[in-house]
Amino acid sequence: MSPEAHSAPRSLAEALRARDDASLAALLRSRPDLITPVPTDLTQLATRAGTRASVLRALERLDRFALQTAEALAVAPDPASYDTLLGLMAGDAGDETVAGALPHAVATLREQALLWGADDRLRLVRTARELLAPSAQHPSPTGLGPSVQEATSGMSPGRIQEIVAAAGLPSTHDSVSAAAALTALFTHRRKMAKLLAGAPDAAREVLSRLVWGPPYGQVTPDPAAHLRWLLDRGLLLPTAPGTVVLPREVALHLRAGRAHRGVEPLPPAVAPAAVHGAQVVDATAAGQAYTALATLEELLKDWDEGGPAVLRAGGLSVRDLKRTAVALDVSEPVAAFWCELAYAAGLIASDGEADERYAATPAYDEWRDLPPAERWAWLAQAWLAATRTPGLVGGRDAKDRTLSTLGPGLDRSAAPEVRHRVLSLLAGLPRGAAPDAESVLARLRWERPLRGANPDGGDDLRSRLARWTLSEAELLGVTGRGALSAHGRALFGAPAAESAGSGASAAASGAAEPVGPGDKLPVHHHRPADRLAPLPPAEQAVATAAAARLLAPLLPEPLDHVLLQADLTAVAPGPLQRPLADMLGVLADVESKGGATVYRFTPASVRRALDAGRAASDLHAFLTEHSRTPVPQPLAYLIDDVARRHGHLRVGAASAYVRCDDDALLNEILADKRAAGLRLRRLAPTVLAAQTDPATLLEGLRGMGFAPAAESAEGDVLITRAHAHRTPPRTAPEPVPDGPPPPDATLLAAAIRAIRAGDLAATAPRKTVGEPLAGGELPRTSSAETLATMQAAVLTGEAVWIGYVNADGAASQRVIAPIRVEGGFVTAYDHTADEVRTFPLHRITGVAELAEE
Amino acid sequence: MFGQAQPSERQPRVNGPLIVQSDKTLLLEVDHERADDCRRAIAPFAELERAPEHIHTYRVTPLGLWNARAAGHDAEQVVDALVQYSRYPVPHALLVDIAETMDRYGRLTLTKHPAHGLVLSTTDRPVLEEVLKSRRIAPLVGARIDADTVVVHPSERGQIKQTLLKLGWPAEDLAGYVDGEAHPIELLEEGWALRPYQKQAVENFWHGGSGVVVLPCGAGKTLVGAGSMAQAKSTTLILVTNTVSARQWKHELVKRTSLTEDEIGEYSGTRKEIRPVTIATYQVLTTRRKGVYPHLELFDSRDWGLIVYDEVHLLPAPVFKFTADLQARRRLGLTATLVREDGRESDVFSLIGPKRFDAPWKEIEAQGYIAPADCVEVRVNLTDSERLAYATAETEEKYRFCATTDTKRKVTQALVRRFAGQQILVIGQYIDQLDELGEHLNAPVIKGETSNAQREKLFDAFREGEISVLVVSKVANFSIDLPEATVAIQVSGTFGSRQEEAQRLGRVLRPKADGHQAHFYSVVARDTIDQDFAAHRQRFLAEQGYAYRIVDADEILAEG
Repeated sequence: MSPEAHSAPRSLAEALRARDDASLAALLRSRPDLITPVPTDLTQLATRAGTRASVLRALERLDRFALQTAEALAVAPDPASYDTLLGLMAGDAGDETVAGALPHAVATLREQALLWGADDRLRLVRTARELLAPSAQHPSPTGLGPSVQEATSGMSPGRIQEIVAAAGLPSTHDSVSAAAALTALFTHRRKMAKLLAGAPDAAREVLSRLVWGPPYGQVTPDPAAHLRWLLDRGLLLPTAPGTVVLPREVALHLRAGRAHRGVEPLPPAVAPAAVHGAQVVDATAAGQAYTALATLEELLKDWDEGGPAVLRAGGLSVRDLKRTAVALDVSEPVAAFWCELAYAAGLIASDGEADERYAATPAYDEWRDLPPAERWAWLAQAWLAATRTPGLVGGRDAKDRTLSTLGPGLDRSAAPEVRHRVLSLLAGLPRGAAPDAESVLARLRWERPLRGANPDGGDDLRSRLARWTLSEAELLGVTGRGALSAHGRALFGAPAAESAGSGASAAASGAAEPVGPGDKLPVHHHRPADRLAPLPPAEQAVATAAAARLLAPLLPEPLDHVLLQADLTAVAPGPLQRPLADMLGVLADVESKGGATVYRFTPASVRRALDAGRAASDLHAFLTEHSRTPVPQPLAYLIDDVARRHGHLRVGAASAYVRCDDDALLNEILADKRAAGLRLRRLAPTVLAAQTDPATLLEGLRGMGFAPAAESAEGDVLITRAHAHRTPPRTAPEPVPDGPPPPDATLLAAAIRAIRAGDLAATAPRKTVGEPLAGGELPRTSSAETLATMQAAVLTGEAVWIGYVNADGAASQRVIAPIRVEGGFVTAYDHTADEVRTFPLHRITGVAELAEE
Repeated sequence: MFGQAQPSERQPRVNGPLIVQSDKTLLLEVDHERADDCRRAIAPFAELERAPEHIHTYRVTPLGLWNARAAGHDAEQVVDALVQYSRYPVPHALLVDIAETMDRYGRLTLTKHPAHGLVLSTTDRPVLEEVLKSRRIAPLVGARIDADTVVVHPSERGQIKQTLLKLGWPAEDLAGYVDGEAHPIELLEEGWALRPYQKQAVENFWHGGSGVVVLPCGAGKTLVGAGSMAQAKSTTLILVTNTVSARQWKHELVKRTSLTEDEIGEYSGTRKEIRPVTIATYQVLTTRRKGVYPHLELFDSRDWGLIVYDEVHLLPAPVFKFTADLQARRRLGLTATLVREDGRESDVFSLIGPKRFDAPWKEIEAQGYIAPADCVEVRVNLTDSERLAYATAETEEKYRFCATTDTKRKVTQALVRRFAGQQILVIGQYIDQLDELGEHLNAPVIKGETSNAQREKLFDAFREGEISVLVVSKVANFSIDLPEATVAIQVSGTFGSRQEEAQRLGRVLRPKADGHQAHFYSVVARDTIDQDFAAHRQRFLAEQGYAYRIVDADEILAEG
C-alpha cells in the first residue's frame, strides 16, 4: 500500500492517506473527537477534520506561536510556500529565533491536520482559513485587512483603471488584471518605497495609524487632500460609503513583511521566585499533608451524626459553609475546598433520604482504616482528576444563581488538564524552587492563547484554575513553601529529576521517529505523552502508590501517650494512635490543634465519657496507661467527683420519672423554681414523675446542675453512644471531561486499522471476476461464482472484496478474509468492521479479488 | 522526653522542644534539653500564657510581635527561632503571616521635626496614604510637609498612636521625652541590693523609654519603680490603686531611697499634697463631679519627668484617656499580668508602651526570691437544709449562700488549729461571714470601715507577731506588705476574679525568714457555683505552675 511518491497530494484526504500509522496515531491522539465514532475511511476522517467544531477545538489547543503561524497562513496566498510563511513570520529582516521555531510550528499544524501539502504548497484547511482570515465581522488578530483583490471585487472597472493610472501603471483590459497589477506593485518593496516617498506627511501619518490595525477608517464624502492622495493611488480602498480600508499588501509593506506586531516563538520561561532546601520543602509538604488528613477527619467527625441539609437546588447553604469554616478554623473558601475534596474523593455524599442531608459514605470508613500516606494518596488522586472547582464557590453562574459548595455548576472540564499542566511546570523547575505565580500564568496563556479570553488580564478561567491549583496544591501538601515536593512529583508520574524546558528540546529528539511520507518535515511526536494529558487510570494508580511510599516516612508516627498537667489539660505532642485519640476526644475537649493537640478536661467532658459507658476506674486506668507522667491529683479528683455524682439521678422513659435514693435531693429539685417547666410530681420518697419527655427532663436537670442518667425500662442505665450516620453505598462523582478521552494505544491501533481497511475497500484497485466493473460499483457475480471464489479464498487465505446487502436492504462494500464456507454462510474476518462475522451467502451480491499491489 | 524514649532513625526529625499550633500558640516542652535556649529565643515575641509543669503555652499575637519589633528584633529572628526549635515543619502560611505582621511596625514613625514639631513620617508612602484616608486619623493630623511626612498635633500624640494601632499600623514613637523638673533621687542600698532581675527590668525600661514591666506579686515591683526613679532623677507621679497601697509606696521609698517624708506627697481622698514625688490613687483621679474630673490638674500641676502606673492591669478607662495626653513624659507600668478582664491590652501597648521585661513566677521562685507555696482547695459539703436554701435562692444570692456556708467556718477553725503558731490570714468577701469568723477565731477583723490608723496598728501587731490570726476583707487584696504571713485561708472571693486569686496568693509569697513553705487554702462549697468560680479563679495560678491539690473537708475536720 505504498502511496504514489511522485505526485503531490491533492486533498487533505490524500495527504492523510500518505501518512504512516504513527503519524495518524499522533493526529488521533491530539484530536480524539475525530474517532468518536470511528470514521469508515480516510475521506470521512478528512471531512470530519475539516468541520467547524473540530477545527475550532484544534485551534483552541494550539500554543501561541503555532496559532500565530496559522494566522499568518490565513492571510497568505493559498497555497503558500514555506518561504512566504517564513517571510510573514520573521519579516523582511529575518529573525533567527522565529526561523528556528517555525518548522516545529508547521509540523504541529501538519500533525493536527490543520495544514497539508508540501513545503512549496502549504495549505491551511479551508475551515481554519475561514475562521482565521480577516473579515469585516471578525477582525484578524494580525490587524490586517482584506487583500487588494478582495477589496476591489465590487468596484467599478472605470474607477479601478483610474487608480491604476494614478499609481503610475499602464492601463489594462479588465478589472482582474488591473487588481493583479496593483497587487504586484504593492508587494514590490522597491517600487512601493518610491511610491510612498512621494506621499504627503499627513498621508503617511494616516497610514501609520492604520498599519497595526484595525485597518478600517472613516472618511467624509469630501475627503481632505492627503486622504484623497491615498485613495487615488489605491493605498486606501473604499469598503462601504464613508469607510475605507488599508489593503493587506500595503500594510505588509509598511510592516516590513511581518504579519504580527510581535511574534512569540518561545514559551515564556517559568521563573523561580524562591529556592528552598529540598528537605525543607518535603517536610513542609508532609506536614501540610498531615494537616489535610486531620482537617478532613475533623470535618467528617463534625458531620458524623448527620451533616448539614442539602439545599433544594443541591449543595450546601452559605450558613452551613460558614459554620463549617468556623468549626475547622479556616476561611470559607478553604472550607469549601475541603468539602469539595471530601466529595470528590467519595467520602461524603447526600444520603438521599426525604430530608436530604450530607453524610459520610461507607467509603469513608474504608478510608479511615488506611495508613495515613495511603489516605493522602486517595485524596490527592481524587483531587488531580476532579473537574469540580471549589474556587468558583460564592460566584454566580450564567443565570445569576449563586454557586454553592457541593452544588451543581462547579464542574469545569479544563480543571484536571490545567492542574496537571501547572504541576508539570513546577516539576520542570529545579528541586526546591518555588515558581513565581505570574510566570506560570504567562506560560499557560502562551500555551493556550485562544482559551484565555483575556490575554493580558489574569481573569480568564485557565488562569484562575491555575491560581487555585497552586493554592490547593499547597493546602493538600503536594507542594511545600510553593515548591513541588518529592511525593508531589511522583504523584503525577513526573520523572524524579526533569530538566527545564522539555517542550523546546523535544524537536531535536523527534527526528529519529517515524516520518510521514510526503511530508517533507518530519511529523514526529514532539510532545511528550504526559505533557498535557493527565495519566490514564492504571498508570495514575501506580504513580499514586509511588507518591504514598515517598510520603509515608515523612509523616509523623502516631504516639501512644499524652502528657497530663495539673491545670487539667493533656498535651499530645504529636498525632495520636486512633483508639487513643477517639477516647480522648470523648473524655476531653480539644483546645488547640496543629502539630500537637491540647485537650482540656472539664466536668462536662468527663460526664460525656461516663455517659458513653465508661466507669471511673476505666478512666483512671486509661489515663495512667497513656500518661508519661503521674496523673495529677486535681484530674483524678475531677473524675471521681463527676463519677460520684454521675448517675446519682436516674430518669425513666415510662412517661418519665426521676428517682433518687436521697430524698433531700428530690426535695431540692421540687423546690427549685427552674424545675417548674418540667412539671415534676413526687411519686414516692425517692421517686419523682415528670410530664415532660425524658430528653427534655434530662436537659432540664442538667441545666440545674445535676448529672442525671437515663434509665431503661428494665432499670439499667441507658448508654448513649454516638451513632455514625452513613449514606447508602455511593460512588464518587465522575469527572466530566472535555470531549472524549485521549485514546490508548490499543484503541488507536484498532481505529487506524479500521480506517485503513475502510479506505482499502473504498479505494483499492481491484480486478474483476467475470465482466469488468466500473470503479466504485458493487461487484456482481452469480451465486455459483461467488461460492467458488469464496472457497478459493479460504484456501489461499486471501482477502476478497464483496458487495453485501444487509437485513435492512442497505448495500455496502466490504473487504473480508473468508475463514470457512458452510451451510450457506461465510464466516470471515471483516476488515471493515475489524471483527469476525458471518455473512449469509444469498445476501452477497458479488465478489471480486483484490488487485495485486 | 518523647524522642529519647524510642531511639530510632526517626529521632533526628522529631527533636525540637517546640510545637507550633495552627492557632498560633507555641507549646514548649520544659523538660527538653534545649527548652531553655528555646524559651530565650521565643520570649521576646511570644506571650507566656500558661506554665503548668510539663508543657508551657506561649501565644504569638500581633501585639507580641510588635513588642519584639520595639525591642529591636526582626522577623527573620522570629522565623528562625520557630524553624530552629520546632519539632514539626512550621506551616508556611504562619511564617508569612508573622513576617507580614512584624513588617507593619515601624512603617510609620512619630518623630520630632526641627521646624514643624511632632511629625508622622513613613518609609512606605502607600501606608501613609492609607492611614490618612481614615476618617479617625484626619482630625489628628495637620499639614502635609512632603509626600512622606505629615504634621501631628502635639496634643494628639497618644490618640494617633491608639488609632494607628487599631488600624493595624502601629507607629514607632521616637519623638523623645521631656526631661521634666530635675529632682535628686538615689537608691540607698544599705544591707540590701536590687536583685538581678530587678536591675535588668530597670535597665530595659530606661533603654526603651516607656513601657511595662511584668513581675509576679511579691517579686518587688516597688523596687523596680524606685530604681527607675533613681535613674530619672526627676519629679515623679505615682498612680496606685488605693490609699493603703499609697502609704506602702511612701514607706518603701523613704526606706530605700534618699527621699525624705517631706519630699513625698499623698494625693488621695483625705489628703491633697503635691510634692516632688506625689502618690495618687486611681480613685481620686477618676472622681467625677458634674461631668468633669476635678483632680485632673494634678497631671499639669508639676513638670513631671516620670509617671509610674502601679497594677497596670487595673488601670481604669478614664486614666487611659488622661494618659493619652501625657505621651511626652516617661511612663512606667508595673503589673503581675498583662491579662485584662476587659481586653484593653492594646491600649496599654499604645499608651503606656510595649512590654519591657517579663519573668515567669516559677523562675523567680526557683531563684528563691519568692516563697514556694502549697495550694490546696478544700471542698465542703452543704448541709441538707443549706442545699434546699441554695436551690431556692435567687440567682444573684446563690453565690452568697454557698460561699458563706457554716461548714466553711468549721473547716477554717480546723485549719487555724492545724497551723497554730504560724501567721495566718483569713480572707473573705462577705463582712458578716468575716465578723462571725473573727468571733469564733477570736481574731481582729479588718474591713472597709476600719480606720486607716486602726489598720496600720493591726498590721504592725501582726508583723510583730503579737497577733497570729487576722481576718481581712478585700481591702487587703492589694499592695499591703505582710511579710510573715505563711498561711492564707480564702473563704470567699469576688466571684471568678483570677486577678484577685493571684493577688491573694501573693500575700503569702514573700520569702520567709526561715525559708519554710507557704500555704494557701481556698475553701469551696461543693457542687455549687462557688466551685465553678473557684475553678475559674484558679486557672491563672494553675497556668503559672501552681498546682492545686483538692481535699475533702472531712479529712481536715477529722484530723482537727
